[in-house]
Amino acid sequence: MVMKAFPWLQRIRAAIVLLLFALIPGLPTLGQNRLDLLFAYGSEKEEWITEATAAFNRAGIKATDGRTIVVKALPMGSGECMDRVASGSLKAQLVSPASGLFIKLANSESRTKTGKDLVPETENLVLSPVVIAVWKPMAEALGWGNKPVGWAEILALARNPEGWGALNAPQWGQFKLGHTHPEYSNSGLISILAETYAATGKTAGLSLEDIGRPEVGEFVHGIEGSIVHYGASTGFFGKKMFQQGPGYLSAAVLYENMVVEANSGKYSLPFPVVAVYPKEGTFWSDHPVGVVDAAWVTPEQKAAARRYIRFLLAPEQQRRALAFGFRPGLVDVALGAPIDKAHGVDPAEPKTTLEVPRAEVIRGVGRLWEKSKKHSRVVLVMDTSGSMNDGGRIENARKGAAQMLRLMKDEDTFSLLSFNSRLTWAMRSQPLTQGRTLAEKTIASLWANGGTALYDAILAAHEDLQKAPDNEKISAVVVLTDGQDTNSKTALETLMKAIRFDSEKNNVRVFTIGYGEDANREVLQKIADSTQAKSYAGTPENIESVFKDISTFF
Amino acid sequence: MSDEPKLTILGKLFLLLFLAACAAGAWWAFTPHSKGGVAGFTSAFNSSNPTAPTTKSPTDGNSTAKSSVLDAPAISSTGGPIEIGLAYGTEKKRWLEWAAEEFPKTAEGRGIQVNLIPLGSIEAAQAITAGDKRIDAWSPAADLYTETFARDFELKHSRPPIAQSEQLALTPMVFVSWGERTDAFLTHYKEMSFKTVGEALKAPGGWDGIAQKPDWGFYKFAHTHPSQSNSGLMALLLMAYDYHDKTRGLTMADILNVKFNSWMVDLESSVVEFPNSTGNLMKDMVLKGPSSYDCVLVYESVAIDYLKNAEGRWGSLRVTYPRKNLWSNNPYYVLNTPWSDGRRQAAAKAFMKYLMSEPAQKMALTHGFRPGNPAVPILFPESPFTTGQKFGLKVDLNGICESPKGEVIHNLLVGWNNNVRAH
Repeated sequence: MVMKAFPWLQRIRAAIVLLLFALIPGLPTLGQNRLDLLFAYGSEKEEWITEATAAFNRAGIKATDGRTIVVKALPMGSGECMDRVASGSLKAQLVSPASGLFIKLANSESRTKTGKDLVPETENLVLSPVVIAVWKPMAEALGWGNKPVGWAEILALARNPEGWGALNAPQWGQFKLGHTHPEYSNSGLISILAETYAATGKTAGLSLEDIGRPEVGEFVHGIEGSIVHYGASTGFFGKKMFQQGPGYLSAAVLYENMVVEANSGKYSLPFPVVAVYPKEGTFWSDHPVGVVDAAWVTPEQKAAARRYIRFLLAPEQQRRALAFGFRPGLVDVALGAPIDKAHGVDPAEPKTTLEVPRAEVIRGVGRLWEKSKKHSRVVLVMDTSGSMNDGGRIENARKGAAQMLRLMKDEDTFSLLSFNSRLTWAMRSQPLTQGRTLAEKTIASLWANGGTALYDAILAAHEDLQKAPDNEKISAVVVLTDGQDTNSKTALETLMKAIRFDSEKNNVRVFTIGYGEDANREVLQKIADSTQAKSYAGTPENIESVFKDISTFF
Repeated sequence: MSDEPKLTILGKLFLLLFLAACAAGAWWAFTPHSKGGVAGFTSAFNSSNPTAPTTKSPTDGNSTAKSSVLDAPAISSTGGPIEIGLAYGTEKKRWLEWAAEEFPKTAEGRGIQVNLIPLGSIEAAQAITAGDKRIDAWSPAADLYTETFARDFELKHSRPPIAQSEQLALTPMVFVSWGERTDAFLTHYKEMSFKTVGEALKAPGGWDGIAQKPDWGFYKFAHTHPSQSNSGLMALLLMAYDYHDKTRGLTMADILNVKFNSWMVDLESSVVEFPNSTGNLMKDMVLKGPSSYDCVLVYESVAIDYLKNAEGRWGSLRVTYPRKNLWSNNPYYVLNTPWSDGRRQAAAKAFMKYLMSEPAQKMALTHGFRPGNPAVPILFPESPFTTGQKFGLKVDLNGICESPKGEVIHNLLVGWNNNVRAH
């Protein structure tokens, strides 16, 4: 009554309350009245999670203590997600890699170290089987539509030197397979498990003894020979395949939802893409979500994280997941379009799965892959022009390059071409078995001075790899530059013509890093695109992670 | 003359006014108005709907489902709202969440908020013995651990832990498998039992050897983890009863029998997975279809809850009752703990009474449980036991086994943990 009679009293009351919030310690202020959660998850479901998380945050849902729950969702590779949370370098309260395999590995390691699971309980958010995405005419040549097609047939074709000629389709050239890097990506890990199963002829009970047999290693090596390159992101592979067409990849190990996406009009495809569900069995990408059991997760955050999980599993969000091509994780949401043949997938598949091996066998398969994988020849082209002295650029670039070197395998070869106004081969084609220490020292000794002969340097590095082609290895030039070309004799047009990718004759990929504000990003993007590689925007702060991402392609 | 700064008269006045304003503000905020207390602070800035009660939705699931009654008047006889905690096995999740929402709407339940705390049987027993003050009542899936729990609790707290109890609902164990594959299995093995499931798990070439169906892959069977879920322990007990072909008097000698152990370990080492929750196992079977599980062993109630969901996905499911069976009797214990006073005990008893009432028991039946209240019929036209006969559901069972002694259960679990590779 008093308030109604004297409205100015209300204003005074509000002002007093604001004053108390601002001045009395212990009372929640506006900024503190929220409960923040960090959610690290596999990037395959980024579009759905981004939309669902925005809806959750908009709803202003309260925690048990009355604070508003605010979720920050961070997409990344599944392997990286679990590694960073397990090491404590990323203090996420909840995680959702693409597959339970990563939870299994992380819990196994956590039990050894701490005696308890890192993520004790999980629920599946959405499902998507791992499939081999193949261009429809190529799938038909493999017998798809008339008979079940398996890993063994596809992988045998990958090993066949005649390529598509073995199936009376020589016009398609070599069979080119793509899968991601198994240390970083779920679909890559699943690919090498499937390869190993195919090599043993088993679908269950894979053992360390199986992995140790020489013919198994040879089989895996044969398949890996058809790999165009690796990579950290399944999404990147799918996108490249759908953008570049069958000349880039004949088939790739992807998730079913990506095949749905490809056939939903997002890309201009030369042919439809179909999902092959391997007859020997596949794995489900089951996107388990769980609350992290670590010292940095409070009981309130645990409860709030469970509330967020319930939100994602509610029918409304699950129906949205279906629209994005995922199979819902909720039985009450019926399976329907776009999980249908019109989108290249079959809701009645898969008919069987491969057995998930024990953690030590999975690790054994990883070691086998390291030995059998396609190795790399890498030329690092480093800008050492005077401008690299600004703002600690050269120091951080050295650190980044050293990081990439660490992630390369002993069987890889490494060259270093530094350039300013002139080119200097600091190292040339050194196998890292012997040359690792020298390479580290050489990188550490770079200093900056002079102009920028960028195009000359790229051309020289490319020619060096191209003059002795080696299809058994991934050939790549990694260019880091912080400025525009100022001193080259080579014109950009000449360079572009020389490096243009041709899967049969010219398969050197040029990865480019535009370092700092002055780099010509547009030209660098063109160079990377014309060799079917990737271009990055680097800064002294992110350069280590840029080099790390590039290393996942090798 | 001191160099210390001094306040001007205006400064003193301002400070005085400020302190007075703070005091007034604090009085205003902490005295009840339309909302009352500190809640008024937060609602002023934070809540889009300041009048909404802090009710958690039934889909809140794993944490604590609360049927908040903050707006309801106090319990008439005792004064003031009260919260009680019920530790429960998740196989009753959907039913209990419904009950916790409905109970406060009844005359007996007004002012009583039931917090549901999902805990596995062993986990709950340990928590109560350790003095978890959130828990006033406990409803595990079965009474298998009750003997051990009562002994441990009494040792620590010098009092029997159970003030009152009821059997809320009954459910046996069932094999659930896909219709087409069940037919192929029965053509080859004639019956579904632990023995034939064990043989199928070892069949060379999997389904190729069983039914000339190589694209069905290897035979995949699962039950829950015996140390983490009551239904997993039930699976082990049923194996033991079935192997020794008895329904009573399972002994230590039976459990330690070398041939039994060898057979059990052989079968269990081929089980594809040991999930920690029966509901999650059954849900996974429906979502992933026969690609992931050909057959699972779960509670009948859980199977009934999911039978319809499966039909539109991968074809129909089939229920088969093992030759020997065990009841999960879903006991409800009102606890006699040092922290649960007379009012909380009375509230826990009131909720138990509500769960045994006809409406609650009918709801239990829709979730696949056989009512613990004998006045509630099981067979009528809409009953899942009538409509589910086409899936193989039946009311009358033979070969019901007795619950073995605590030491037998303990040793069976120890043997499993030592000898079977937990995935």
